[in-house]
Amino acid sequence: MEQFESLLTCCVCLDRYRNPKLLPCQHSFCMEPCMDGLVDYVRRQVKCPECRAEHRIPYQGVQGFPTNVTLQRFLELHANIAGELPDPTAGQVMERCNVCSEKAYCAPCAHCDKKVCEDCKSAHMEVLRREISRINNQIRRGLNRLQDILGVVERNTINLQTNCGAVAGEVDEIHKRLAKALKDRTDFLRNEVDRYLATELRNLTNLKDNLELELSNIQSNCDLADKYMNDDVEWEDTELVDTKEIFLKTVEFLRNFDYEAGDYNRRVRFIMTHDPNQLVMHVASYGELNITQPNAYSSSMQQNQGLTRSKSDHRLASQFRQQEEAKGWQENDEPILGGRKFGERRPPPPEKHTRDYGATDDYSGYESEHRPARSRFRSRFVKSHLDNDSDSEQTTRATKAEQQQKEKEKVVDTEDATRGPLSVEKRKKKKNLLHLLLSPFSPHLSRVSVHLQHKGNRSEDDEISRLKRQNKGAAASSQEPERAPARPAEEERTAVNRKPPTPAREASSDGESDESVGSLQRNQRKNAPAPQKPVTTTRRPSATETPAPHRPAARAPSTESSASTESSGSAVKHTGAILSIAELKAKYSSSAPATTPGSRFSSAGNERTAPAATNGTAGGAQRVQSRFIGSQRPTPAPAPAEPVHEDSDTSSEEETDSSEESDEEPVTQRKPESQAMARSDIGPLLARSTNARNDAVENKTKESPSQSRYRTRQSSQTEEEPAPRYSAGSSLSNRYGSKPREEEPPSSLDDETKYPTARSRYLALKERRNRLARSKSSHTGFGAGDDDDQDDPVSPTTASPSAYLAARYGSGTGGSELSRSRSSHALKSRESSPERPAPGEKDGAALSSWARYLKNKYGSRGKDRDPTSTSSSTSRRLSLGLPLRSANELASSDDDSKNAAGSPISPTAATAAVAGFAAAGSSPRSQYMQKRRLQFSVGSRGSEPGCFTWPRGIAVGPDNTMVVADSSNHRVQVFDSNGIFVKEFGQYGSGEGEFDCLAGVAVNRIGQYIIADRYNHRIQVFDPQGRFLRAFGSQGTGDGKFNYPWGITTDALGFIYVCDKENHRVQVFQSDGTFVGKFGSFGSKLGQLEHPHYIAVSSTNRVLVSDSNNHRIQVFDVNGRVLSSFGEEGSEDGQFKFPRGVAVDDQGYIVVADSGNNRIQIFHPDGAFLRAFGSWGSGDGEFKGLEGIAVMSGGNIIVCDRENHRVQVF
Amino acid sequence: MAALPRRIIKETQRLMQEPVPGISAVPSETNARYFHVIVTGPEDSPFEGGLFKLELFLPEDYPMSAPKVRFITKIYHPNIDRLGRICLDILKDKWSPALQIRTVLLSIQALLSAPNPDDPLANDVAELWKVNESEAIRNAKEWTRRYAMDN
Repeated sequence: MEQFESLLTCCVCLDRYRNPKLLPCQHSFCMEPCMDGLVDYVRRQVKCPECRAEHRIPYQGVQGFPTNVTLQRFLELHANIAGELPDPTAGQVMERCNVCSEKAYCAPCAHCDKKVCEDCKSAHMEVLRREISRINNQIRRGLNRLQDILGVVERNTINLQTNCGAVAGEVDEIHKRLAKALKDRTDFLRNEVDRYLATELRNLTNLKDNLELELSNIQSNCDLADKYMNDDVEWEDTELVDTKEIFLKTVEFLRNFDYEAGDYNRRVRFIMTHDPNQLVMHVASYGELNITQPNAYSSSMQQNQGLTRSKSDHRLASQFRQQEEAKGWQENDEPILGGRKFGERRPPPPEKHTRDYGATDDYSGYESEHRPARSRFRSRFVKSHLDNDSDSEQTTRATKAEQQQKEKEKVVDTEDATRGPLSVEKRKKKKNLLHLLLSPFSPHLSRVSVHLQHKGNRSEDDEISRLKRQNKGAAASSQEPERAPARPAEEERTAVNRKPPTPAREASSDGESDESVGSLQRNQRKNAPAPQKPVTTTRRPSATETPAPHRPAARAPSTESSASTESSGSAVKHTGAILSIAELKAKYSSSAPATTPGSRFSSAGNERTAPAATNGTAGGAQRVQSRFIGSQRPTPAPAPAEPVHEDSDTSSEEETDSSEESDEEPVTQRKPESQAMARSDIGPLLARSTNARNDAVENKTKESPSQSRYRTRQSSQTEEEPAPRYSAGSSLSNRYGSKPREEEPPSSLDDETKYPTARSRYLALKERRNRLARSKSSHTGFGAGDDDDQDDPVSPTTASPSAYLAARYGSGTGGSELSRSRSSHALKSRESSPERPAPGEKDGAALSSWARYLKNKYGSRGKDRDPTSTSSSTSRRLSLGLPLRSANELASSDDDSKNAAGSPISPTAATAAVAGFAAAGSSPRSQYMQKRRLQFSVGSRGSEPGCFTWPRGIAVGPDNTMVVADSSNHRVQVFDSNGIFVKEFGQYGSGEGEFDCLAGVAVNRIGQYIIADRYNHRIQVFDPQGRFLRAFGSQGTGDGKFNYPWGITTDALGFIYVCDKENHRVQVFQSDGTFVGKFGSFGSKLGQLEHPHYIAVSSTNRVLVSDSNNHRIQVFDVNGRVLSSFGEEGSEDGQFKFPRGVAVDDQGYIVVADSGNNRIQIFHPDGAFLRAFGSWGSGDGEFKGLEGIAVMSGGNIIVCDRENHRVQVF
Repeated sequence: MAALPRRIIKETQRLMQEPVPGISAVPSETNARYFHVIVTGPEDSPFEGGLFKLELFLPEDYPMSAPKVRFITKIYHPNIDRLGRICLDILKDKWSPALQIRTVLLSIQALLSAPNPDDPLANDVAELWKVNESEAIRNAKEWTRRYAMDN
């Protein structure tokens, strides 16, 4: 048998004969390759290997030798006997291998798509295997990312929880605060009403008593007269004259005595500072949660994107798992693949080996090991498992993925062919294996699996989407805490922001006439439709506008009722207010009627204003205040004038007198002494009480020197002191001042006509009391004045500041009135002294009447009080430099000043402020704080219009167009502000208008495009239509030469700044390309640069350079001097990793594309970190390799996302 | 490198399965065409008792061209020079694809038994062999003992 074997074996190939050819020497050899190899082509001979006989080769070659048919029969016979499979290559013809050019039995290779020989094919398969394992390694390495993201998600979950907790706490706190404020205010109002009632009752009782007393006095006088004015009694002539005088006075008094109806039907009205509905509305919507953003974010594309991504991950995993499975059985059936082993890579888990391939349990078992999205695993496994099964049946498989099938079929077939005798089953298994092997790289299969997923596992998608959303939500919410503190901060800032303009306005108007101020203020008021209420809200943030501070101060003394500094302060404030009003009035009244003495005074007053104002500015911390103080100052002069008019209206007699008096008084520097002296002239009868009162007044002035109503007018020095302190008063005056101005024409009339009624009740009361007292004193000679004086400080106990004001002035008025009436009683004493207080009284009257008037016009005193008090606290805070932040603080400070009114209002005011600022939208900071959300993105990879290949530089052109350096497409693309493609220009090359990987783009003021043509080492300038204008620069290190110029920008003057990246410097050119200067050298010290990439120039001519390899932004002036530098390497806030794009907005805020950290950071103009957003990835708001960045005029940030080949707009 | 022709694989397998007495040929681990060969000195020859190392390399076109064989162990033989090159017709012009590794090695073993000084390669040895065969044989034995027996 062995010999039989050897007889059937070709001695050359030592194999069975294939197509044996018989040589003439009767030896047989296979035709190919044995006989072929024996041919001596030179001699056209074949030498028999056995006998070395040489034979000529027939004409048609070795095929011409006869086939050894006998041998062939024997072969067939042997095959039949031995049961060997027929030679698989039997029918094949040898070909040249397309790879190694050897002649062999070739088969198509799926790897190279050529017909190759077995050897090359196996080599190719080897290559594929190596590639697979390499990719596998990459995947393993990449797996970390998923883990990282998982960690991030967990962290975000925690962040979200803490954030929500914090927000809830905040809401609770606000609720507490609001509730407290409401309660406090309610209590306060109630108390106020009670107190008011009590006071009024007391006053009325007093009045009643006094009236009764007066009545009885006069009656008794009458009775006495009746009784003694007869002949029974002896009267001296002088006595009679005196008595007659007394009685004449009494008559006069009675005649003059007016019943002021208004005083006897007071009424308290409750008026809401704010429209109740609006208030409720404000409260009802006092806050909202800003969570819409993340929602929109996650629910849109992000989710889908995430899904697909995660899908692909899963697919890979599952496929590999399958492969391992396959490997399992493959190793069991080892010989099938011969030398090619998958097992070489890593041994599959042993249990997998033992298990049956088809067992579904196997997959589910694996699936249970893997936590996330397990059902997807299953589905896929099951699916592919089915797939495998169907493979063996060939038909279902064809329906699944035809193309793939085809490819596979090819491979499989040839495999089979070359493999030789294989059992059918083995072949099928092998096919499956191949299928599995191919599947990870076959898009069709992936499509199939994706398809399956969509079909079968909705829940899976949901889960993933939920995950994604959670992730996003957490990410978004991480920004939430930032927002929360931002709100107060914003408030604060609006306050600050709003402040500057006001002083500016005030300052400007300061220099102008009062009218202009008035008009300004009128304008302001116009802004607020309901004069009182909105005014307070809108004005609240600005210290200058707030009338308030004097309010709480005014109230404070009411409780103290002593002449403490506080009270004195308030007194002065009142004076201030009065004076200003008086001034106004004087002004108007003086201008309106024919020239009265008053006009003279007003001018005098104006003269006096000047020094006072300067003093005020010098002494006052706040210009605004000083201004108001200044404007207040003039009043001393007009103030005296003022009463003149009033008097003229009230009583004709007194008018002339007082006018004369006042005429003299302001001119002669009034002093308490002179007063006293004047008083001393008063008739003996009243002198004592007058003096007593005067003393009391003077006591008061001594206690609080600055305060005295007289003195304030007299010396500007005394006013200097209080001046800065009384900003409140000034603001009050402002407020009041503004109103009077508007109301002036009627008010001046009103004032005068209404005088008795419009005047403060308290004033009136005082007056009356004084009159009574006077009459009392005149009759009884009591020290009534003393009583009054004692009363005076007490009177402020009435809660209403205006009432207090009135009372205070009422006291003055009282004195004056008294003295006047005294003088009228004591006819001789009609001198300056009684008259002198009159102006003061009139002032008081004026003010109180004004206050009244305003009150009547705009509401009760409650109303009047509220805004003032709140704004007072606000303005005080501002003046103290305190943040205006918490309503609690406000409330507390208000409590201090006995005014709880502030608290309920403050939130409203805050919201109003916020709303206002939001409407204005002019605050870039807040805008940046909200940045995060992608508005849209432009482009994808490609070279069509609107597509990018590594976009780098970006700039904002005219009309907010986006100009993008589409670097590897060697062109510039222009988009409008909505991302719609407008035009493109440029192509590859080094000629004019051609680019080679351009990097930076800039657009100058006149719309020319300036391009840093990187690999051409030059700068090109194009006109606004994109036509080439000029180019300058070449490669080199000299001036005007470049080494890979990168970022480019221009300033307002058209100078061109170029980041000469490899020369580590910045070069500056004129717009025509003339070299101007350069700065920076290689290094890491301040002022040195290492690979500067991008550059920006702010509107303040600061040059910002992204010093990329030093991981910082350096700020230069236009001359190249370093101003500052910020950032260092790292990934914390404010740190960079290879920062690239840098941009600055018109407010000076700096935006940096932090390339290595794949985020955008925003900085304050001073380089302080503001916020950061973005992360690695290809989703919305994610980046891969940031490049240029720019800020549009609307505040949108546009950035080139290089590796994602797109531009994102935030 | 292209894969091993089936013939080489078959020959190698056969060499392993049915080794020729007195001859061992083991393919190199790194190159299947390179064989480490040890041939024992034939009985009744001056080389008896010696173990002679050879290297055998199958060229690319084997079996159409002869394998390259060289003695590594020094041997005193008229048809083998100092470098170990062998003068054997079947390794040259008489090569036939019908020959195999084992036949080549058997031929070499036979050559050791029957030196052919008329077709010399090492002329000095061949001269001595022709002039003074006994001394040549003595030298051969000496060399065998010196070079082919200790290691």
